[in-house]
Amino acid sequence: MPQSPGDVAMTAPIVATDFDSLRAALARSSISATTMNFIVWIDDVGFRDWVLERTAKILDKHPARAIVLDACADGKPGATLVRSEPDDADAAHITVQGERVEIGVAGMSTEQIRELTASLTMNELPTLLWWTGKGITGQPNFDALVHLADSLVVDSSGTRNDNATVVELVRFLDSRRSVGIRDLAWMRLRPWQDMIARFFDDPTLREELYSVRSLQIISGSDAEALYLGGWLASRLGWTASGHDEFSDQSGVRIPFRSERAGRIRRVRSVELTTTTTTYNATVSDDDETLVVVKASGKNAMNGRFVPLQAVDSPSLLERAILEGSTDEVFETALRMVGALTA
Amino acid sequence: MSDSSSAATLTRPTAPVNRPRPNPLRAGIDSNRLQDPCNIIFFGASGDLMKRMLLPAMYNLRLEDMLPSDFGIVGFSRSSYTDEQFRAEMKKSIDEFSRSGPAKEPMWGDFEKRISYISGDFDDVACFRSLREHLENNDKVLGTKSNRLFYLSTPPSLFSPIINMIEQSGLGPRDNRDGWTRIIIEKPFGTDLDSARALQSEVEKVFNERQVYRIDHYLGKEPVQDIMALRFANVIFEPLWNRRYVDSIQITAAETVGVELRGGYYDSAGAMRDMIQNHVLNLMTLVAMEPPALSDFEAIRDEKFKVLTALRPIDRNRVFLDTARGQYDAGSIAGKPVAGYREEPDVAPDSNTDTYAAIKLYIDNWRWADVPFYLRSGKRLARKGSEIAVRFKSIPHRLFGELGDTIDNNVLVMKIQPEEGISLRFSAKVPGPKMHIRSVSMDFNYGTGFGVASPPAYERLIGDAMRGDATLFTRWDAVEAAWGAVMPVLERWQDVIDETFPNYAAGGQGPASAERLLAADGREWRKI
Repeated sequence: MPQSPGDVAMTAPIVATDFDSLRAALARSSISATTMNFIVWIDDVGFRDWVLERTAKILDKHPARAIVLDACADGKPGATLVRSEPDDADAAHITVQGERVEIGVAGMSTEQIRELTASLTMNELPTLLWWTGKGITGQPNFDALVHLADSLVVDSSGTRNDNATVVELVRFLDSRRSVGIRDLAWMRLRPWQDMIARFFDDPTLREELYSVRSLQIISGSDAEALYLGGWLASRLGWTASGHDEFSDQSGVRIPFRSERAGRIRRVRSVELTTTTTTYNATVSDDDETLVVVKASGKNAMNGRFVPLQAVDSPSLLERAILEGSTDEVFETALRMVGALTA
Repeated sequence: MSDSSSAATLTRPTAPVNRPRPNPLRAGIDSNRLQDPCNIIFFGASGDLMKRMLLPAMYNLRLEDMLPSDFGIVGFSRSSYTDEQFRAEMKKSIDEFSRSGPAKEPMWGDFEKRISYISGDFDDVACFRSLREHLENNDKVLGTKSNRLFYLSTPPSLFSPIINMIEQSGLGPRDNRDGWTRIIIEKPFGTDLDSARALQSEVEKVFNERQVYRIDHYLGKEPVQDIMALRFANVIFEPLWNRRYVDSIQITAAETVGVELRGGYYDSAGAMRDMIQNHVLNLMTLVAMEPPALSDFEAIRDEKFKVLTALRPIDRNRVFLDTARGQYDAGSIAGKPVAGYREEPDVAPDSNTDTYAAIKLYIDNWRWADVPFYLRSGKRLARKGSEIAVRFKSIPHRLFGELGDTIDNNVLVMKIQPEEGISLRFSAKVPGPKMHIRSVSMDFNYGTGFGVASPPAYERLIGDAMRGDATLFTRWDAVEAAWGAVMPVLERWQDVIDETFPNYAAGGQGPASAERLLAADGREWRKI
């Protein structure tokens, strides 16, 4: 059965020989507070330990029932139930209990997976689906599971640096029903969005936003650059004039240059040039957790360090859990990405 | 820019003139960052609190990008340091005490540029004028825009002289028309009602109430704030939260530590002054207050104050019936022998100071009439723990339960530290053919795992003061009312020496007199 680094704080696993005994074991749940059903889909063996580790971290903080569906080709059928508990009964710092069911679903039909998952979720609790699988649209298992969820979490740059997943997400946005969408690639940009917004928090610089003449983004994967470009465009009322150009409300063309460089899932640099000033935010050469923000030109500003906060996956997953199920700013940015990539 | 509270005059709203458009990039990006540039000036900057708590709190606020883009940190103390020496001292304190570990470059280098130091006497107006010039220079160089937050982390005896010097040197809010001026005052705010009033009269000569932040770090703890969430973000508790269903409430703040290096201070204070008058009464007001109409900090503070005004005054003749006091003797904590209080450094060998205090209070209003609130706090007790236990009344009619079964009262416990969470005791049927009933406990624990510790209270509170949010600070009327509530006890305790001191062994549950306090009402304390 799948093992994870999170097991260090877990009870001895209960290996269920059939799913009825698994349900019976869950019914004897010892956890005393539960906040959600957390369905996790894995179909990439190289990614499995990474996902399981992050799932365990979520359970460390949010008492939840995690249903890990392991569709990797080497996964064995059957299920393991693991309950987390404080590794030291007197330790006041780890007090959350959670339970994790790991099920090997390779070889099971979509209908079996859906029925099994539905029967293991608890009523009256929100259900979050973290889909780490290859592809979204046209995946029967995805279609089946997303109907069980209130919120969907994906990562458009989780395992790939092209724009394939984000393009699929655009298509899903139009077809989805009531499920809220969270993309970790988008959520990872929050500090960058904050840094860019911060340039213009000073009311005397506000009008600069309406005289942007070029935008340049360097990132390790395409999703981040597309999202940042789409976000700026949708906030400022620009329209996409092609894959690499926007037009502002006055019809002025704004070249958008994105370059793929550096680590996957990470933005390296953003530069925004207005008619008077160039605003730049670039990851520090000395410490990749720090960004140097500065401006040159009329509104010049000396370099200043800004820490990149909470861009690790467990923090992003936690935000996805805590924040509401819809994010209008995200959706309008995603639609703009759709226009850019059409 | 100013915090000055004007009289409530109603004026017609005027149309904004040339108001800039809101930043469209801020939609959906709520930032916790403090917006106003400012200087924060720490008086007593060479002291222990600065090194252990305050400077690490500032550094961590910076690491988490919570500080405004433009800020300055100015230390002021008698010790002689250059800027460079002071920065080196502060770096050492970060290395030793910061929750984020040792200071790291390049962030530390960026941070330390904003730290400076003024050496001077607290009663020398020339030194304060130098401070003013220094702050004006910071405004130009660091862009701090005349916003100033003073932090009094000196011994309390220096509070009044410093406030007086602030005014005399032109550093007070009346002389600062270009920005805001606020002051954080460490506890204790006075040592009794008279001294608190005397200090307040000095404070209000210079600052109005909206500019004053009386800090009680206890209120910055997450679980304390969770009390309001439990009460006002759930519908199921509030209907039961009154005299009809609540039998009594116990509030406990127990420590295993002794007075450590604070013997000199503590011997003139005691548990009633040091804990009950502020921390524990603050907890009581959060438990007992009415739902505020708004989440606005003044609305919350209004409701807390109303609780204190409804406290039934303690009759001087009943002080020894409605309170208990104790002083620890030698004993053992966690298997290790510890000295008695009178053997602690800087403690008088015949000290009459209480290291344990318990009190029974009533709140005379419609919600709480005749519901006793039992408050206790002590040092060198069996376990460290702060909690609020709401004990509900007995069932009105016993329907279930075999002979010999006891049906316990429901108890809701809000655990504040070191455990953080909520537990509810209720009755359930024991599986089997008979209708045996037993108590079970349903527990919820707030996790603080995830590799990130809860931010220390000082980070939260300094940030709030910089933001101008006084929710977690104590307003003068509440301070005055709290002193008023405990003064009869303090006076009687001072008048009558307790010949039984020391009267409880370190590592125990406290003095027998405390047990008798509840036993007289047919109740008992929860085990510490």
